[in-house]
Amino acid sequence: MKIAISAERADLASKVAHRFGLSPYLLVVDTETMDFKALANPGATSRPGAGIRAVAFAIGEGVEVVLTGYCSPAVYNQLASNGIKVITDVSGMVKEVIEKYKAGGFGRDLAVEGEKGQASHYINRRILVKALKSSARQFANILPILTGVILCIGLFNAFVSKEALALIFTGNVVLDTLWGACFGSILAGNPINSYVIGAALLNHGISLFAVTAVIVTWVTVGLVQLPAEIASLGLRFALVRSASCLVLAIPVAILTVMILNFIIG
Amino acid sequence: MSIEKSQESKRRTQRPSRYMLIFPLLVLVIYGVLFALTPEQALAALKSSGEVCLNILPPLALVFVVMLVLNLFVKPAQIAHLLGSGASIKGILLSVAAGIISMGPIYVWYPLLKELREKGAGNMPIAVFLYNRAVKPFLLPVMIAYFGWLYVSVLTVLTVLASVVNGYSVAAFAKRKTG
Repeated sequence: MKIAISAERADLASKVAHRFGLSPYLLVVDTETMDFKALANPGATSRPGAGIRAVAFAIGEGVEVVLTGYCSPAVYNQLASNGIKVITDVSGMVKEVIEKYKAGGFGRDLAVEGEKGQASHYINRRILVKALKSSARQFANILPILTGVILCIGLFNAFVSKEALALIFTGNVVLDTLWGACFGSILAGNPINSYVIGAALLNHGISLFAVTAVIVTWVTVGLVQLPAEIASLGLRFALVRSASCLVLAIPVAILTVMILNFIIG
Repeated sequence: MSIEKSQESKRRTQRPSRYMLIFPLLVLVIYGVLFALTPEQALAALKSSGEVCLNILPPLALVFVVMLVLNLFVKPAQIAHLLGSGASIKGILLSVAAGIISMGPIYVWYPLLKELREKGAGNMPIAVFLYNRAVKPFLLPVMIAYFGWLYVSVLTVLTVLASVVNGYSVAAFAKRKTG
């Protein structure tokens, strides 16, 4: 069985570190052989999302039990919902703690547990309330911009004529699709806004080719968020990815409409 | 310390940003000006917005339900785990799945993607993940209401296929320097 322990140093003689998400090291110990793997805690260097990275690491290593001093409720929920048993209030030397665990020293009364498979099959009230809160928050985040977009669609319908749009969208499949892709690339945000805008464009006689390109590039390109992508993943990656997405949007849009027309007949 | 502080800062970041209100407020100001200048057309615009709003309400209710189901069963840690599976066929499929089930704004995911890359994840799975964020299961009710299920099905399949092409392109043209 593999156990993950938060540790101050990268050896079994180390002290158990207090916080799972922010400990300098995570030791993954095989209780049968006492072989261990010491890895710098992926979450130790940066606070935002630190716990989640440590959880992802534990899952990736096939850990069944986590021993630590303290584990935040959020991290505990993540570990427990992935079937990893969490035991807190653990202190002392790593090696001694492992021996104590093997000897059954951490009784059920001390343990905080996440039974294997429990989360995926059993939803208790606390999890449901948490999911409801998350959904309400995500939903609330969509609404302000969506409201603005819907109000803009009203203005668009009332003030922009089909003739004015025909100056840009001339009916040329490739050019219209390209314009659609460029439009979708500049704007960003929740994709629901692109559906509302796309439907309004269709009502104004803009081709489905262009509308599809808007929908595809809305999420995949996003010039607005390019600086954030460059900062995280590098200039070359961000530029190549965005350019590739912009170019790909054209065949995706054209093929989508062609296949649709072929199926409908 | 700091547990309370960090929880408070987390709560703060989870609240809808005030900046998001600027856009709808700005549009309302434009409406105000237009009502003063051309009241008939402004009223027509408002009526048109009302119709759009009525059309979108039923699928929006479904959006909330699908969001709730995803929040119940999909955890960020599972997504991170799926993403770290390399550039094999299995890894690509897992990156596709991770992109599709991931929720929230993209900038929330950048620090995690950066971390995964520093741990050795290639450009390909990350590019595939980012492309597949265009497929949003919780928004399907709205998309189907506007464009029909056939269009949505075709576009979804092509989006997934294009994500793999995009992944290979990025892997080929955005190779990182080594050594």
